[in-house]
Amino acid sequence: MACLQRASPALKEILLKLYNAEKPMEIDHHLYEFGSVEYHIQSSASNPHFTYLSISTPLLSNQVLPPYGISYYTTEMVKALCSEVVEIVEPAKDGYQLTLQLNFTKIPHGKDSAKVITEISTVQSVILSSQLKEMLQNVNSHDAFQGMYKPIKLVYHPREPFFVIKQTQRIVAVFPMRFKEKSDVIIATAFFQELMDVGSLDKWAKAPPCTWAPIPPPELRGEPFEDLNTNGGFVSFDISSRHIEGKRLEKTVWSLLNFYAYVKYHVKCTRGFIQRRMRKRLDRLVEVLHKTNSEEDEQIKQDQDAGCGRMRRLVRPSKYHILKRRYGNLKNQIKKIRSRIKIHGFGQFRRRWLKIPKFSSSMGYKKLD
Amino acid sequence: MASTLRLYLTCIRNTLEAAMCLQNFPCQEVERHNKPEIEMKTSPELLLNSVLICRNEAEKCLIETSINSLRISLKVKQADELENILTKKFLRFLSMRAEAFQVLRRKPVQGYDISFLITNYHCEEMQKHKLIDFIVQFMEDIDKEISELKMSVNTRGRLVATEFLKQFI
Repeated sequence: MACLQRASPALKEILLKLYNAEKPMEIDHHLYEFGSVEYHIQSSASNPHFTYLSISTPLLSNQVLPPYGISYYTTEMVKALCSEVVEIVEPAKDGYQLTLQLNFTKIPHGKDSAKVITEISTVQSVILSSQLKEMLQNVNSHDAFQGMYKPIKLVYHPREPFFVIKQTQRIVAVFPMRFKEKSDVIIATAFFQELMDVGSLDKWAKAPPCTWAPIPPPELRGEPFEDLNTNGGFVSFDISSRHIEGKRLEKTVWSLLNFYAYVKYHVKCTRGFIQRRMRKRLDRLVEVLHKTNSEEDEQIKQDQDAGCGRMRRLVRPSKYHILKRRYGNLKNQIKKIRSRIKIHGFGQFRRRWLKIPKFSSSMGYKKLD
Repeated sequence: MASTLRLYLTCIRNTLEAAMCLQNFPCQEVERHNKPEIEMKTSPELLLNSVLICRNEAEKCLIETSINSLRISLKVKQADELENILTKKFLRFLSMRAEAFQVLRRKPVQGYDISFLITNYHCEEMQKHKLIDFIVQFMEDIDKEISELKMSVNTRGRLVATEFLKQFI
């Protein structure tokens, strides 16, 4: 499954909404996750204390587990989730494998309430991991045929089955890896090689040894061709008894169930990382070219400025030329003044002393009317 | 920088300096058209001999020259599958953003990973030596980037593997 969290986020949200509601709510929700997991949440206003949660999830394997419904071990595991709040309703609703009655009045108030609801939301992961746990504990040595142990095919996701093979001293989990794109195959292969390298270090001697091979391991001989047809090879983990003791069993089972999701998440993140890095690099490369252009422009500008200054410095005029230019300027200015030169009081002097007498002639013409 | 790489880049730089003497030249076939002759190849007399510079079988540079344009095609080394996909991804990413580079060709010449097309107009707009510097710098950067990307992907893988194995302890 594509979700690495144990709790279903959608289920958690709905249950929290119901729990925090001030008034009793009428709810009848059908919720689907990953295409094959179905939840049905029912709460009525007439009976606000109880909420009914039904769940239907595909079985991990049809070889070992009962064909329909859930085993006693799984029921016990679900009961252990939060025994005060959760009660299993027998029989389960039609079309569902399990129906739970949730008593919200028994949930402690404060921060613990969210914790309890988160725990209830992990019901699907509890069912699946308890199935695997049961399988690992119940597979007997008499399954061996001519020294070979029959692999158990587990289908956690319809397109991603994996195999568990119990042997005398160890349990081998084999993951046939399939990817849609070639680039994903290569990124994942690099990861598997690193996983092998890291696992072989002394520091990680306690971790289960991991091997990756492009061909199926001998333990899978005789399995159907479609299960062995991969493009990413086969990853195997050798799980010894110390990895399934006590609390470690829970962690081991969860890690195995989520190995596909883990690898796919890594591939997706790596692709994102490559894309981000390429984008950054593009900016830097373009910057170089733009810097070239801007430098060029600046250079041209500087050249132009420097050119004018140099010319000014080179063509420095002599004093004669300066005087000549100034005289010319003055002359031009005088020329521009079109009116006569006016001398203050000259008009009065002219009228008195430079008066021209008027002569009248007998021969003068008279204007005829 | 490795001495072989320096020699390879110096050789490319010198060849580019010699080849990048482009001039405006209108199309001889169509009136009032001006097309890069190295792409059209309409008149053989306008094409010069192309130069192939090889560092090794996996790394080579083809410089094709004509009267008004120049085409540079590069083949970048790909030592393993991871380098191969990283190179392909990166050069495809750049080619799809070719407009940002002005001189980058959207599709590489067959047999090469990336191609540049420089016309006389580019030489007029940008300085010739700066263009050559850019091409050589680009080649250096691509090599460096691919190596760094490969190292980063492996380092990330190692860290993720460590985190996964931690769950069993």
